[in-house]
Amino acid sequence: MAPIDTWRLPPRGVLLAAVLLLVVAEVGGASMSRYKLELARWARTGMLAHPDVHGLVGVRDVDERTLDEALFRFDAGLRLFHMHAEGMALVVIASTTVVTTLARSTLPRRALIFLLTVGGVGYPLGYLIWSALIPAYGVERSKAIAEWLVWIPFGGATILGLLWLAGLTGALLARR
Amino acid sequence: MRRPPLVVIFVAILVIAFGELGGAVLSQLRPATTRWAAARIAANPQVHGLTGSPEYDDTVREQTVFATEAGLSFFHTHAEGTGLVLFFAATLVASVVRPRALRGVLYALLTVGALFPLGYLVYAFAVLQLGRETGIEIAETWVLTPLGASAIVGLIGLAVVLARREPAAAPGGR
Repeated sequence: MAPIDTWRLPPRGVLLAAVLLLVVAEVGGASMSRYKLELARWARTGMLAHPDVHGLVGVRDVDERTLDEALFRFDAGLRLFHMHAEGMALVVIASTTVVTTLARSTLPRRALIFLLTVGGVGYPLGYLIWSALIPAYGVERSKAIAEWLVWIPFGGATILGLLWLAGLTGALLARR
Repeated sequence: MRRPPLVVIFVAILVIAFGELGGAVLSQLRPATTRWAAARIAANPQVHGLTGSPEYDDTVREQTVFATEAGLSFFHTHAEGTGLVLFFAATLVASVVRPRALRGVLYALLTVGALFPLGYLVYAFAVLQLGRETGIEIAETWVLTPLGASAIVGLIGLAVVLARREPAAAPGGR
């Protein structure tokens, strides 16, 4: 079979998912600056409503440091969501385009597109979940939740998909 | 749009894949990485200027481990980025650059340039074995500068082609 010289676009649903992720990333980035105070206030109110979770002792000097550290992590999670969502959307578009163009067999093509799309779109949401849970669950516990529910499964799917794709591309190269 | 050669696609995907792996190592294997880095520092006390004083040595150890983690972090972010830059830039080269020899040169420059993030890996390891200043010098001199320059020259070449007025394509393509 003659090699295809032009890129084949991935399924429209994949492109839509990637573009929506880009939109959410951009809106997220804009919201972080536009609503910086409101977000910090919301997080702080949530932390004060869960003093045991954050180890608040009622002493202003001690508690302010604890709250500042947690708010820093809250902000970091939002920033990391913004960065990773922007990047992963492009990774999804590029990698699924490669899959659609180079993977001839239906089953591997569908499996790869599934892994890369679901993994790539899902992974950045872990940072959003981490930030959202910090006020109620604390920094470390919310990180563990995000890790096991999102980062490990979705990040693992993406890494598996990319290594598989690298192997497939390498095999095609070796066959030439 | 036309696609670049398989070898270019392979390098782009591999760089992105290793960038992802780097990120996973940073987050999931952070304690193990820290322990390993601390062991490397302890194995090279003279290089890091360890004195035997716990307070001073702890500070040196923390700063060096931080430098190693920073190198891994930079590797992760840059590998994700340069892999994508290679993918999109090489696609443009395949689609708009007509002369075959020029396409080959641009592919080579961009592909070599996409390996730029390896400089941060070199830095992360060299800092542990040879100290911070020497590690930076080695990474910059032998990897970051040449590979980074390759990427920049490749992108400038692509920009020049894009900026030039091209005659209309003959029917049937090249």
